[in-house]
Amino acid sequence: MKKVLKLFVFMMVAFGLLIAAGCGDNSSADESNPNNNETGNNNSENNDAEVELGGELIVYSSRNENFVEPLLQKFEDETGIEVRALHGADPLQLEEEAGNVQADIFISNDLGALGYLHNQGLVEGSNPEGIESIPAEFRADDNAYFAISARSRGFIYNKDMITEEEMPKSIEDLFDPKWAEVENGYAITRGGNGGMLGNVSALRYEWGDERTAEWVEAIRENAAGIFQGHGDIRRAVGAGEHTFGLVNNYYFHQQLLDEDNNVGFIYLDQEEDQMGVIANAAGVGLVTGAPNEANALAFLEWVLKPENQVVFVGESLELLINSEYGAEYPPEVEPYIVDFHDLKVQDMPIKELGNYFEGTKELIENSGLDLELR
Amino acid sequence: MTNNNIDKNEKNKNKKNAKVGEKFSPTLLHFIRRKWFDIWRGNPPGPVLLLFGLFVALIMSIPIIYVVWRSMFAGVDRWMRLLDERIPQLLWNTFSLTAAVTVCAVIIGVSLAWLVVRTDVPGRKLWQWLLALPLVIPPYVGAVTYIIIFGPSGWARDFWRDTPWLVNVFGDYPINIYTFWGVFFVLTMFTYPYVFLIASASLRKMNRNYEEVARSQGMTTLQVFWKVNLPFLRPAIGAGAILISLYVLSDFGAIAMLRYVTFTAAIYFQRAGFDTASATVLSLVLILLTVVILWIEARTRKKNKYYQTTNTYKKPDILPLGKWKPLILFYVIIVFFLSVVLPILVLVYWSIIGIGMGALDERFFGFAWNSLKVSGFAALLCMILAMPIIYLKSRYPSIISSAIDRLSYAGYALPGVIVALGFVFIFNNHIPMLYNTFYMVALAFVVRFLPQAMQAGEASLSLVSPRIDEAARSLGYPPWKVMIKVIIPSILPGVLAGGALVFVSSIKELPATLMLRPPGFDTLAVRIYFEASEAFYHLAAPPALLIILVSCIPLRYLLKKY
Repeated sequence: MKKVLKLFVFMMVAFGLLIAAGCGDNSSADESNPNNNETGNNNSENNDAEVELGGELIVYSSRNENFVEPLLQKFEDETGIEVRALHGADPLQLEEEAGNVQADIFISNDLGALGYLHNQGLVEGSNPEGIESIPAEFRADDNAYFAISARSRGFIYNKDMITEEEMPKSIEDLFDPKWAEVENGYAITRGGNGGMLGNVSALRYEWGDERTAEWVEAIRENAAGIFQGHGDIRRAVGAGEHTFGLVNNYYFHQQLLDEDNNVGFIYLDQEEDQMGVIANAAGVGLVTGAPNEANALAFLEWVLKPENQVVFVGESLELLINSEYGAEYPPEVEPYIVDFHDLKVQDMPIKELGNYFEGTKELIENSGLDLELR
Repeated sequence: MTNNNIDKNEKNKNKKNAKVGEKFSPTLLHFIRRKWFDIWRGNPPGPVLLLFGLFVALIMSIPIIYVVWRSMFAGVDRWMRLLDERIPQLLWNTFSLTAAVTVCAVIIGVSLAWLVVRTDVPGRKLWQWLLALPLVIPPYVGAVTYIIIFGPSGWARDFWRDTPWLVNVFGDYPINIYTFWGVFFVLTMFTYPYVFLIASASLRKMNRNYEEVARSQGMTTLQVFWKVNLPFLRPAIGAGAILISLYVLSDFGAIAMLRYVTFTAAIYFQRAGFDTASATVLSLVLILLTVVILWIEARTRKKNKYYQTTNTYKKPDILPLGKWKPLILFYVIIVFFLSVVLPILVLVYWSIIGIGMGALDERFFGFAWNSLKVSGFAALLCMILAMPIIYLKSRYPSIISSAIDRLSYAGYALPGVIVALGFVFIFNNHIPMLYNTFYMVALAFVVRFLPQAMQAGEASLSLVSPRIDEAARSLGYPPWKVMIKVIIPSILPGVLAGGALVFVSSIKELPATLMLRPPGFDTLAVRIYFEASEAFYHLAAPPALLIILVSCIPLRYLLKKY
């Protein structure tokens, strides 16, 4: 016992010293920050882009960490700016921190969230080089946020359990309780999920609140699995734990790379008289009052470069809005890629999503789907 | 000596006051002073020590007060909606799980304790500490291993699918771990050691005389167990049951991973969706639940007092199991296998795969360093802050010092999500300097785990005679200096053990870390949670194993404590 204790004392002392050293580092970093900001501001005033950048960049991201991390790593390697990322962040955190701004960049997989932040004045406009490459319908008027990759909602299904003909083809089909009867039922995500929020917003645009609330109630009743995220759903469907699940199309692409890859995908509501597939996009916003604004602006211009737009898509296997930049897909996935422009897409402008964000959250909360897991 | 000095000073002041005739009449001053001395039973501590103690108590209780306060402003609508729709369901979920796990863990813990302490189970000395080992496995890690084995795509499913007769006889794979029973099983398996340890300690102290009397009255072993042993065990069972039910109330990791929703998980998800007002409302209900449990415990403890006479103490005899031996041994082994061997095997298997795939990269060591940094800092702070509180409590007993002591337990009894919620409010709005730094996380750990350091220190301090303090005081040291120069050196081992406990608890902590971690500051626990929820088990297993290894450090102390 004594020996253990002695060892422990030694460790604690060594550790105290390390902490002290660490604290020293931290404070010096904090001190250097304002300087960075100042020089950054000077830079932008002088329009001198070729200045050594340094310091750090705080990124809040609500996108899957595994897609974002390689992008941030590449940025760090190429610019020397240290990126500190908070993954799994919620857009409302920016609202809470409005008086004490922490983040420089917000990366979202739901354009609705960025639109909402824009309405609240929490992301601010800028004019980064290369912004013209993003079509006007995929960016804010003042470029406070812009989208890089697009996705559409649909059903991933297990081909061992159901055929394409038997699958539901419309989002409206989920009103019908008979789909609860398929083998092992179907899966959806928790209502708090960004993709689900966008989905419900689009339905509210199309149907109004009352019918949408009924739809949410129906899926809440009938779904056999309610998961935290879409990754769980694609794996569950691939493994035959559920017959099908409501996901974004790129999760289908990801599942094709998995062991259990006998899956198919239904793009919903593609008939003439139907609403078209519900689309959403992932993008980037510049936080108002960002503490490292110069670095944030550098990041925006960097990510707009064609090669980095491709990296933004990366492992997510989403569709690049600028498909001509040639996002590369693995050979297993390539044949299944459907170009975004070839789909019948719902006529709600994606930018509209932001105006629906708050109401949608409220509707989902009232339904109780935000807390349900099963 | 110092007291005398103070007295003289006071007297001088009084004289002056009387002469000059200031606002405060000497009688009033005298009265206050008398009261003050009464509170402290004639022995008030120095102002430095007292202020420090009050300061610590304030830090410890502010987050909770803040949460309760904020919940009052959630608005009638929100309260009504939550009370109407959400709270009944959550109450049922939480209550049924807590009750089921507590009952089952108590049964397993007490039966195992009785078997290994009082019967001739083979290897009983070894089992006495082997069966406490699940303590080192955080339940969320346990949950991951059980998802790997029994999950819908787990090993058991594969085995079932590839075994024709199973499918033919029983149909498809029947186990669904994402149910009440899955959560129940995992939590029971990883919490029973609390009861086991406390019950074995009481059983070892039990006097044989009572049993002999019972036997002489013709009772069988079973009757003796029910009529003599069990009543004696009641305080131990009560203490263990409280620990377990508080744990179940506060657990987030295992429950969230197994897709069950209790109050704690609901608070986390409300907060993650930034519906902070609703989160505070749910927190208030959970605080009330906790208080009710603590109140029940206090009541039962008062009602049942059992005395063991020490002067005629005889060591309890060991009962032969006879023909039951193989069955009992099987029971002991199966519990050990399910709660220790199986999880560790799974983790080792995936760690080997992970390490083969390069899981121990720079990132991993970065996370380990973060864990070490924040937990070590918390342990250091706890050791420093615990000292004045326990010194006040043991040397200057009074209402004030016991109030300070009680307040220090506030964060310990309550779930980490509530502490974290309070911290977010306070730091974001009032201490922006520290917001989003690792100091905030470390402070949250202090609020959560300070009592562990206090308990360890108290145990050592009770062995140091107050005469020693008095000697030091008589040589002219003020109380705070006595504490630093005389007391601390003599109770250092206990304090360090307390620090080790805090360190381990902090490294395992999940919900507060998740809610408070600054950008780019993931810890091992956070990584386990994220990697496991993405089914990257090869990345989740190595940090989990590391946490388990580190948790073994204070195990010996833990075993000795009970």
